[in-house]
Amino acid sequence: MSVQHRKSSAFTLATMLLLLFVIVGCSNTGSGDESSSAASDQTSTKSITMSWPRDIGTMNPHTYNPSQLFAQSMLYEPLISYQKDGKLEPALAESWTISDDGKVYTFKLRQGVKFSDGTPFNAEIVKKNFDAVMKNKDTHSWLGIVGVLDKTEVVDDQTFRLTLTEPYYPVLQDLSVVRPFRFLGEAGFPDDGDTSQGIKEPVGTGPWMLAEYKQDEYAVFKRNPNYWGTAPKVDQITVKIIPDGETRVLAFEKGDLDLIYGEGVISLDAFQQLRDNDEYVTQLSDPVGTRSLLLNSSNPKMSDVRVRMALQQGFNKKAMVEGVTSGLEEPADTVLSKNYPYTNVDLEPITYDVEKSKALLDEAGWKLPAGGTVREKDGQQLDFEMIFDKTDPIQKAMAETIQAEWSELGVKVNLTGLELTVQIKRLKANDFDLYFWYNYGAPYDPHSFINVVASPGFGISETLSALPMKMELDDQVHAALSSTDETKRQELYGSILKTLQEQSAIVPISYIKKTAVYQKKISNFIFPANRDENPFVGIELGN
Amino acid sequence: MIGYIGKRMIAIIPIVFIATLVTFALIHISPVDPAEAYLTAAHIYPTPELLAQKRHEFGLDQPMLTQYVHTIQKIAKLDFGTSYLTNKPVWDEVKLRIPATAELAFWSMLLSALVSIPLGILAAVYKNSWIDMVSRAISYFGASIPQFWLGYLLIFFFSVKLDWLPVEGRGSWENLVLPTITLSLILIAVYTRLLRSSVLEQLQETYVQYARTRGIRERVIMLKHVLKIAISPLITGMGMSMGKLLTGTIIVEQVFSWPGFGRYFVDAIFNRDIPVIQCYVFLAACLFIVCNLLVDLVQLVMDPRISAKGRAEH
Repeated sequence: MSVQHRKSSAFTLATMLLLLFVIVGCSNTGSGDESSSAASDQTSTKSITMSWPRDIGTMNPHTYNPSQLFAQSMLYEPLISYQKDGKLEPALAESWTISDDGKVYTFKLRQGVKFSDGTPFNAEIVKKNFDAVMKNKDTHSWLGIVGVLDKTEVVDDQTFRLTLTEPYYPVLQDLSVVRPFRFLGEAGFPDDGDTSQGIKEPVGTGPWMLAEYKQDEYAVFKRNPNYWGTAPKVDQITVKIIPDGETRVLAFEKGDLDLIYGEGVISLDAFQQLRDNDEYVTQLSDPVGTRSLLLNSSNPKMSDVRVRMALQQGFNKKAMVEGVTSGLEEPADTVLSKNYPYTNVDLEPITYDVEKSKALLDEAGWKLPAGGTVREKDGQQLDFEMIFDKTDPIQKAMAETIQAEWSELGVKVNLTGLELTVQIKRLKANDFDLYFWYNYGAPYDPHSFINVVASPGFGISETLSALPMKMELDDQVHAALSSTDETKRQELYGSILKTLQEQSAIVPISYIKKTAVYQKKISNFIFPANRDENPFVGIELGN
Repeated sequence: MIGYIGKRMIAIIPIVFIATLVTFALIHISPVDPAEAYLTAAHIYPTPELLAQKRHEFGLDQPMLTQYVHTIQKIAKLDFGTSYLTNKPVWDEVKLRIPATAELAFWSMLLSALVSIPLGILAAVYKNSWIDMVSRAISYFGASIPQFWLGYLLIFFFSVKLDWLPVEGRGSWENLVLPTITLSLILIAVYTRLLRSSVLEQLQETYVQYARTRGIRERVIMLKHVLKIAISPLITGMGMSMGKLLTGTIIVEQVFSWPGFGRYFVDAIFNRDIPVIQCYVFLAACLFIVCNLLVDLVQLVMDPRISAKGRAEH
């Protein structure tokens, strides 16, 4: 190769490389025009921009991840809607009757409801949706109604009937959840009718329609012109996908976002900082769930109620919750907060009392050896392993606090930070001593909670397995779930919750709340009673 | 030359093969069962029956060797299966995200080259002058500041306080400015120092002194002789960074909500979306190999002292 030739090859190659980079680099710069138009098209219409950590997903009403619950609830509606304090109100069903044996539910559907594409909502489409969901029964087996649903029928155009194999009282609550029992219009169904593999287009009866969408970037929801109910006060909701919490706060401070809401969507520090700023409005919801600590009674050391009680009394819950969550969570006295149906029961709170705690441990035979720091019994030390999600700063801080406080009692705690998936795996395999656990919230609780108390495989039944009255507890749960008598049900719930409180195997720590931060132009922001629903319908926009 | 390229291309095959084998092995020795991972990602309670059904569907009940052969056959057809999370073909999802990452990688590379080449040369030529000090300060700053922190700082000043640029997202050129600067700074820091030291090294060489005695102008010596050789380590460095940038600039994509490949991969890890992880590792291996090859080719044509034959043999 001559020098001249080599030089020209070098030049050609360098040029080609540069060209390649330019092509790759520039090929997509044009694609952003739509997104900027979407983001800036807010001046003429009454529009709200919010952010969400993840893409809204496929908007299939009958499947789960990656579709986001709040977005699904904007498009699709339930037969029955879950309201404050567990009140059930008509939604797409105007009224309903339940047979005396509790097995047949007949729904009168609301007249004049149309899907966003103008097609009518009737009993046929209701049945089609139910059947599509039940075709993949296994997928939805976590929801109680799926296990007892026997038959779906179209009685007439506006009447739909469900028949169960056995009575199960939370049918109406189960129908109010965001997925899977909500309704897709005919045009959305794939040709084979199997929605589990995808839908053609998201057509619902809800107040909103998906108008524009760019995966991982943004979604724009506009008002559904065919909506049967009171039309939303704002015309448009733009959802920007911002995965990072700190970036979300910066975008809010710049004014790019009008609203941030949800659970754990921004750090507690950031929330505090925004709360201290007069320019913004902040809100905390009612409790949406309880942060609890499971004390696994199948561990022989914790099978003694005196040990469990001593552990619960032996740490300052109030100080810990205040300190770790800066007062954004509320110390919890009972496993379920009182804003669910049947949970407003008088239960004796278990209060912080170190002396009593030490006395209980002594009484249980766990004594401090002379000069020792860890209690012993029959040559064994009183030590436990506490597993926690290592990416969750609150769990980590709480685990460390409890470890320090219990060491004062002579109880040794070894902390193991795990990845969430491994943590859940160990819970299900009953391979843990101490575990942070959360209940499901409304509208799933209290019935989902008592269900896992009695059903093995979720970790809770195993935690309670060494309780002397476990069998009785399970029977009470089954009786409560299948009872058709409201008073009896209340009695059973009262008894179950009392037993759990006295047995101290599920230690309530704090009530988790949703946070909302918004610009002052927004008013009438109310957290929905249903944990997964969106809060947009009532929102108003000022200047 | 063509023979050399051919040989290098063939050498890619065993490397990719090993990469797939390692990924396959890692997935199989990981404590997480892919069938369980799928059900968890789909929010389905994994009953033993469902697990067995899914294991059969994924072919996990087949002998290891059969599973591996199937994996290789599918990869050869660019079929990486469907994502556990979205139920869509992984390759389609990846194709959707690569342009965003490539765009960011391209501009970051360009910016860092445009700044570091002149800065590196000037710092060497005017050693210990103010410009050398400035280049050193930039290098210290760029190398020591964490990228996410720099990202937040830039957003805070240029977006929130001054309101010049958008906070996040992808779209117009304005969206590109801050993430590009964030990514480039560390590259500038490294390249500037690299070029400075290799220029200084060349300036000590006898051929430079000889050229000077021949009365050739400094600028000509620098551009025609010194730089041609001194730039070689920089090209290697840039090639390696290109691979890194193209496989996703995970933190920066997260901070600036950039819908790229890196962010997609992070989500996949959190959700144990095994087909996506497998595809990512495969593509990363390929990209690094191709970038490496490109670097070698550029070196080959730029440095007359390296013969194609000699290179191929080493």
